[in-house]
Amino acid sequence: MTWVVWRQHRSQVLVAAAALALFAVLLLVTGRQMASQYQSALASCSASHSCAGLANTLILGSPVLSLLVTLTVVVPCLLGVFWGGPLIAREFENGTSQFAWTQGVSRGRWLTAKIGWVLLAAVAWGGAVSALVTWWSTPVNALKQQNFQPGQFDIQGIVPVGYALFAVALGIAAGALFRRTLLAMAVTIGVFTFLRLVVGQDLRSHYLPALTRTFSFLHPPVLPAGSYWLVAGAVVGPGGQVAGGAAHSGPSISFGGVPIPVGSMPSACRELIFQSPLKFGSCLAARGYRAQISYQPASRYWAFQGIETGIFVALAAVLIAATVIVVTRRDA
Amino acid sequence: MAAGGPAVVETRGLSKRYRNVRALSDVTITVPEGRVSALIGPNGAGKTTLLRLLSALARPTGGEIAVLGMVPRSDPAFLRGVGFLAQEIPLYRRFSAEDHISIGAHLNARWDAASVRRRLEHLGIPPGQAVGTLSGGQRAQLALALTLAKRPRLLLLDEPVAALDPLARRQFLAHLAEAAADGDLTVVLSSHLVADLERTCDHLILLNAARVQLCGDIESVLAEHQVLVGPRKDTTAIERDHTLVQAVRTARQTTLLIRGNKPVTDPAFEASDVGLEELVLGYMGQHGGQAPAHLTAIGDDR
Repeated sequence: MTWVVWRQHRSQVLVAAAALALFAVLLLVTGRQMASQYQSALASCSASHSCAGLANTLILGSPVLSLLVTLTVVVPCLLGVFWGGPLIAREFENGTSQFAWTQGVSRGRWLTAKIGWVLLAAVAWGGAVSALVTWWSTPVNALKQQNFQPGQFDIQGIVPVGYALFAVALGIAAGALFRRTLLAMAVTIGVFTFLRLVVGQDLRSHYLPALTRTFSFLHPPVLPAGSYWLVAGAVVGPGGQVAGGAAHSGPSISFGGVPIPVGSMPSACRELIFQSPLKFGSCLAARGYRAQISYQPASRYWAFQGIETGIFVALAAVLIAATVIVVTRRDA
Repeated sequence: MAAGGPAVVETRGLSKRYRNVRALSDVTITVPEGRVSALIGPNGAGKTTLLRLLSALARPTGGEIAVLGMVPRSDPAFLRGVGFLAQEIPLYRRFSAEDHISIGAHLNARWDAASVRRRLEHLGIPPGQAVGTLSGGQRAQLALALTLAKRPRLLLLDEPVAALDPLARRQFLAHLAEAAADGDLTVVLSSHLVADLERTCDHLILLNAARVQLCGDIESVLAEHQVLVGPRKDTTAIERDHTLVQAVRTARQTTLLIRGNKPVTDPAFEASDVGLEELVLGYMGQHGGQAPAHLTAIGDDR
């Protein structure tokens, strides 16, 4: 059966291997350049004791390359659409399931081999792309400390492997259920995108209770160490209420990542903005206002990667189980 | 009915429903070993459904079924004995004949690759060319050769010649007859074209509107029926002794297809033997597939 799977999908595998090789060469070459650029910048700024502002002055890599790396967020979805969707749907569509299932191999074994190999390929490709991106991003992560932020979190570490497994399983299941390749592909795109957005925006920040930190406006904010994830920031009034509310729109100025809704501040302080930010700060502090952030500390990065990967792997397992039931119980 | 070897196919009260559609209803048939059985019926009679149940591609919703002494199921022990060729001749269009031979070799414990290659060479079918670029006749021949390479004991073919031109049809049936001749192969072959099957088959399953109308050795089935031609007159006396399959009445003449071996005593009627095509058309002409006595009148001018 392994040979049959290979014969059926070898051209897809070769195309994907070529694309991956090209991507790898690109990242390996530019990644080394970026690493040495970062090292020399670090060396020269340490000599002049001016490393504090390095994140704002040093630009690593080209914008095109950064965009390409950001776009790897769609790789799992592509695997699901082009590997998962057609895997079983195309056999139904062309009637070749009738050929395959009247040879001397049971449907269960046929399914196990096809699904097993394509999932393995999903892990290999998803893992390879993610490993390259993670390695390439090392100097950027060190410089900007943003790898826990949404966007970077989704393309580094182990979560892309979980996404790839889930997307491919989703494609397979949709194909087994609808028996139409195009429909399976469309369903894969829709469901995958929807679920990724829901998990990323609504679920992820609640994996562990966020920590909070309060700043006085009198001193520069002492931010959490390392690549923490700033989940939310707000100005809290003298009574402990959030000033301006969550839906505040209008001018605001930033204090340690916390937007200060200028329109909701006492009018006595507002007039001071144009004179001096420092006076504005002490005015707010004197009236009992302070800034508060809720955040996930950098130390939880791998715990969050693990939890999110676990969620998507579990969903993939459910989909595969459903596929096996549908294919072996339903008529060909 | 003529006895054969042990039954290769045996069903009792078999039925299959698809949601609200009854595809097969109370089907009881027996196909003895070594027979080439013609599964005949109009489009939509349930021929494909029956073949799919026999090959374990679909599961019945009622009744009993035994193929080669086993309940059809998707496991190697059952699959090795049965070869199935679906109506649309499903092959991987981008793969060559040689690719299909390799796939078969990997998926079957018993596989006669040499026989397929011999057959391709004999028919002049290029083994390295993508199957999608072959003619319909070549594809059908390849598919049959692949199905036979399993060395099945039961071969199930669903309308294999329907899409072929007369020459390809003849070649295909010759190939089939050859395969059936050497060995204990049993064949069930569906078609709605009787002429194709008359030369190849020695057993008949007549299906109409989800029900079996006839099942048995063709010779004995034909011997059980007679055609009566006589003047237009009352036929209740004949219907008392025989089962009336079909009656065609014109202004002056009555033609009856009846079942039963008793001699017809009415001197006004002349009895003659019935041909396979006539018999099949007689049964198919009935409405709704009711019990065989249901009467059809054509050209009635009362």
